[in-house]
Amino acid sequence: MRGIYILGGYPDRESFKKRFLAVAETGYDFIEVGLPFNDPVADGPVIAGAHNRVINNGTTIQSIINDIIDLKNISIKKYIMTYSNIIYSYGIDAFSKKLDGYIDGLIIADLPNRMIGFFYGRGLKIPIVPFATLETRNSDLDSIIHSKSDFIYFVGIRGITGSKADLTSKELLEKIKMLRAVTDKKIIIGFGIKSPEDAAAALIAGDGFVVGTESVSRQEDPVKFERYIKSLMVASKN
Amino acid sequence: MHPNNGFYGEFGGQFTPETLIPALDELEGAFNEFKKSRDNESELARYLKYFAGRPTPVYKAENLSKKYGVTIYLKREDLLHTGAHKINNALGQAMLTRFMGKKRIIAETGAGQHGVATATVAALFGLDCAIYMGSVDAERQMPNVKKMKLLGAGVNLVDTGLKTLKDAVSASLKDWVANVTDTHYLIGSAVGPHPFPEIVSYFQSVIGTESREHFQSLGFMPDYVIACVGGGSNAIGIFQAFLDTGTRLIGIEAGGRSLDPGENSATLARGKKGIFQGTLTYLLQNDNFQIEDVHSVSAGLDYPGVGPQHSWLRDTGRVEYSHVFDKSALHAFRELTRLEGIIPALESSHALAYVLDNSSLFHGKNVLVNLSGRGDKDFGIVEKYNLEEL
Ligand SMILES: Cc1ncc(COP(=O)(O)O)c(C=O)c1O
Repeated sequence: MRGIYILGGYPDRESFKKRFLAVAETGYDFIEVGLPFNDPVADGPVIAGAHNRVINNGTTIQSIINDIIDLKNISIKKYIMTYSNIIYSYGIDAFSKKLDGYIDGLIIADLPNRMIGFFYGRGLKIPIVPFATLETRNSDLDSIIHSKSDFIYFVGIRGITGSKADLTSKELLEKIKMLRAVTDKKIIIGFGIKSPEDAAAALIAGDGFVVGTESVSRQEDPVKFERYIKSLMVASKN
Repeated sequence: MHPNNGFYGEFGGQFTPETLIPALDELEGAFNEFKKSRDNESELARYLKYFAGRPTPVYKAENLSKKYGVTIYLKREDLLHTGAHKINNALGQAMLTRFMGKKRIIAETGAGQHGVATATVAALFGLDCAIYMGSVDAERQMPNVKKMKLLGAGVNLVDTGLKTLKDAVSASLKDWVANVTDTHYLIGSAVGPHPFPEIVSYFQSVIGTESREHFQSLGFMPDYVIACVGGGSNAIGIFQAFLDTGTRLIGIEAGGRSLDPGENSATLARGKKGIFQGTLTYLLQNDNFQIEDVHSVSAGLDYPGVGPQHSWLRDTGRVEYSHVFDKSALHAFRELTRLEGIIPALESSHALAYVLDNSSLFHGKNVLVNLSGRGDKDFGIVEKYNLEEL
């Protein structure tokens, strides 16, 4: 599974929709759309800077959600990636009703697996993707295996978006092995995937990848953006 | 104060990246072990007494009392080593760090008091130390930046957002995610994910315990206890001991320049429930679900969230919360300095200002104000105002 993260409303609503279409047309399996938050504790300077620009432009969360709904007929799996406060303060139940059926799942950067039930318990019907990390312990596996999501988001680094993962490290491969022993769910590696080589390596180590910082840093420029997402696609098919 | 599954009523929880969960569990385990061990408790008590200078006095401020017609008592946390209540928590968490076998501590700081306290315990316990501080705060609290560096800590200036306390907390969380294996995040207020609010309020409870003992020896309880609230650590530290008494408890937030958005950090007066920096709590946010800008004349109060225990105490009605404006805080700063010869921190000046501004309300009452810190760090700020005009 190959995926691209782009930020909703960045650099403006029209450009965002065009980049969305480009991702789908290039043949990606899924897209993650970020909803901006101005205290993004899991994000490095590139993505955090983009979040702030969208917010300072006056683009609202509501308008980005509407744009995502408008893209419903584009055939690609769609996920929203954001922070707890956006969904909680929008209203968990209202958020769920608004988007249920239009997206395939939610990735919430500051929501650990043990707190997923907090959102389901307050009316969320959309599946939340669980995380596995380099720190995952045996005692954490239950919450991952029993999740409603169709895949596991493996955080490939200790750190924030924009750092580089070592996809051949013993530590990472052992954590993936530990997951494989207990689940058939697909393991998608995010955080730290940068180059076409990384993308190819992630498909060997796990079942897929998603890039964020590298796509967002090109999101303003259609030519660079499309060249980049094609290069990952080509490399990961070889 | 004991949380239920990490929550105080509906507030609290653990809203952090998954990578931090094992570290939070380890911390909770260490904290529970710590509380069970008499040796640890007596070692901490030793540090608090001989290193930090506890117990701190409760001082009856006669001159101020006479002028305002209110009997004002001050809990003198300003007399502690490093100049504020922050050292109580820093010593406790340094012991937890040692217990967990971690070699490095990081901390955020606003006023610089928690940064200095953390750098101090790092020197004492032989730990590597990195402090995150907004560049705006570093400029307005320069003496504390110099102290941290002298003590051997690395000071990292944070240039994102408003370059103040909230941004320093974010930067610390990011460092922690990257270095979680060998690093403890020695958080400085009763904020952040569980178990931090519980741990910080536990180590700060000594303020309230000593205060209550003092009033027991006087044969009565104060009518009011008043403390300033940034994240809420000095306030929860003193309030806890009085929860089961008839004493009225008041937390004072920074009203800043006005109650308009962006001009204050009066979270409990103006906030809506939200999720921020690890915890569900009242939060200053706009209708696009983004954290609002904040302002206070004091560098330690301008936080857009508040510890979850305070959100809960507000909703249960046990504690009242109000705010005072920058000008009132500066006025109280001058009054205490000139009438009592005590130079208070601008944060603590907010608590005192509430009494002076509302002296008719408190007329004839016994009021205990938590003087959470001393004000020599604030010279750079105070110089910009004409105190005689206030
Ligand atoms: C002297 C003093 N009082 C109060 C505060 C506010 O913090 P808290 O609300 O956690 O007590 C600070 C924070 O820097 C401080 O330095």
